Amino acid sequence: MTTPFLHINGIRKTFGDVVATDHVELKIAEGEFMTFLGPSGSGKSTTLYILAGFQEPTAGDILLRGKTLLKTPSHKRNIGMVFQRYTLFPHLSVGENVAFPLRVRRTPADEVQRRVKRALELARLQGFEDRMPANMSGGQQQRVALARALVYDPPVLLMDEPLSALDKKLREEIQHEIRRIHQETGVTILYVTHDQEEALRLSDRIAVFNKGRIEQVGTGPQLYNSPASHFVADFVGDSAFLTAEFTRASGGTADLRFADGTEVRGVPLHGADPKGRAELMLRPERIRLVPQPGAGPSLPVTIADITFLGNVTSILARTSWGEEVGIRLPFGHPMASGLAPGAQTQIEWDAASAHAFAARAH
Amino acid sequence: MAAIAARRGFGFALPALALLVAFFVMPVMWLLLRSVTEPGLGFQNYATLFGTATYAKVFLNTFMVAGIVTVITLLLAFPVAWALVILPPRWSMVLFAIVILSMWTNLLARTYAWMVLLQRTGLVNQILMGLGITDAPLELVNNLIGVTIGMVYIMLPFMILPIYGVIRQIDASVLQAASLCGATRWQALWRVLLPLCVPGIASGVLMVFVMALGYYVTPSLLGGTSHMMLAELIAQLVQSLVNWGLGGAAAFVLLVATLALYALQIRLVGLPKGAQ
Ligand SMILES: Nc1ncnc2c1ncn2[C@@H]1O[C@H](COP(=O)(O)OP(=O)(O)OP(=O)(O)O)[C@@H](O)[C@H]1O
Ligand SMILES: [Mg+2]
Repeated sequence: MTTPFLHINGIRKTFGDVVATDHVELKIAEGEFMTFLGPSGSGKSTTLYILAGFQEPTAGDILLRGKTLLKTPSHKRNIGMVFQRYTLFPHLSVGENVAFPLRVRRTPADEVQRRVKRALELARLQGFEDRMPANMSGGQQQRVALARALVYDPPVLLMDEPLSALDKKLREEIQHEIRRIHQETGVTILYVTHDQEEALRLSDRIAVFNKGRIEQVGTGPQLYNSPASHFVADFVGDSAFLTAEFTRASGGTADLRFADGTEVRGVPLHGADPKGRAELMLRPERIRLVPQPGAGPSLPVTIADITFLGNVTSILARTSWGEEVGIRLPFGHPMASGLAPGAQTQIEWDAASAHAFAARAH
Repeated sequence: MAAIAARRGFGFALPALALLVAFFVMPVMWLLLRSVTEPGLGFQNYATLFGTATYAKVFLNTFMVAGIVTVITLLLAFPVAWALVILPPRWSMVLFAIVILSMWTNLLARTYAWMVLLQRTGLVNQILMGLGITDAPLELVNNLIGVTIGMVYIMLPFMILPIYGVIRQIDASVLQAASLCGATRWQALWRVLLPLCVPGIASGVLMVFVMALGYYVTPSLLGGTSHMMLAELIAQLVQSLVNWGLGGAAAFVLLVATLALYALQIRLVGLPKGAQ
């Protein structure tokens, strides 16, 4: 078997009693855009800091092209990083900030000039050489940070929520830039975010973090279409969870019975030990509204609310036992016509588009 | 709105301003006046001051001692300020207490303590001899060494606190970024940390240098006759020789030098925090 480009091998890090990361295991290919997605405190930054050399793991190893990085101090790791907070050197101009990594490496002056120029072009910052960081917007500062991190051609670029301090529009603009820079340079990127949209937009693959562990690794569509756990299903994309009872579970599918007695059969099943209480997950765009039950699985509901959101209509329906289901239809869809809050109707879906999970202990 | 606020603020400042005029500006004007009127009208006091070798030597010596004290204080204060920032809170609180308490202890008491410690049979000489570093006791008081030790010790808090203030505001991730960019500890120190500390260092250096220029107690207790400083000269002129004209001139030169240094600092690094 070939050695992976970057191998995060069973990293565990504890701070006293707090387990920050636990058995984080990940193989990353050269040139891949890998995103760590997860809620606050799930261990994303800790993993990144261990890669950067700011923290030592309690156990485990980091291997770059098969060689451990842990014995190399951070200033010799040759890794690039863009931080969440603005970390430009405030006393240096933009040009000198970008030149800094080359100056400390004692690169000849003409090469410094050439490389700084190229890095500034890459980040679309031509003409900003003499500006001071304090006179730049947050978005511009992060671009300078990006140019500074790439000027020495690092094999790996780490980014820890670099856009979280920016407003939505600017964020999307710079996401675009990051994608372009990734394509132009082919640098391997490890990107941390807790914004699922950002993760889906940027990444080749996403590692979903929860409580210090990786719950699932996969492409965006993989995570969306076959989430491995309730947590992933909940975190990636919108979804409704309906409680039910397992009546059968084997061979990757399950039959369920709802509180009102309705039964559904052949739902794709995830996770082990499916006994007792179950949860059925439905994506809002996979649900149809029909007046009468058809061939597929369905459930009687009452319409609770209808909201127009520009190009889509969001409908909230309530089951007879009081759980809520969101439905999303394109604006002006015939299924939504004539509906009003209080109307009795049916929701219907394809058996294969739902997912069954063992109910989480609360 | 702003104008009203400014005027009201100015109103509150009036009593303070009156005090300043009464207790600071008037005595200074009075000294200045005597320096150009005694014994006769004119600038002969200033001519004497700059024209006499003994007095010129005192000026030179004053600036030299202040310079040495400032440099040594800076070299000692920087690591202490750094430690105050990075130590765990409990330890930095202890260190803080030591720094602040030494400021609150009586100046004379501290200077006499150094006299006792540094004398021929004092603790410092005993330790040095006990460790075999020296055979005979060293002359540590009544000379430049004694003055320097005593003054550095007294000045340290005034250097530590402003430097601590700037280091504390530096975001740790800026230094992490420097490290990942490839900077060794030394390079991070010289190229990032020190430049960011310049405002604190500048105000610490200015404060210590200016205080050292006018220092009286420590030089007169721990110093020798060969290294007289300006404040000692002024005291001698006024107390022993009752020469108010010359003494006033010396005091006025000291004041002008101080103000010039302050103006220089404002030019170079701007107004100190809080005065903006
Ligand atoms: N230096 C530290 N000392 C003690 N606990 C820490 C330290 N650093 C992180 N932790 C803890 O480790 C856990 C993981 O933290 P980490 O910063 O990796 O989370 P994260 O996924 O990056 O979260 P966020 O999205 O908020 O940045 C948290 O519970 C945090 O409190
Ligand atoms: Mg984080």
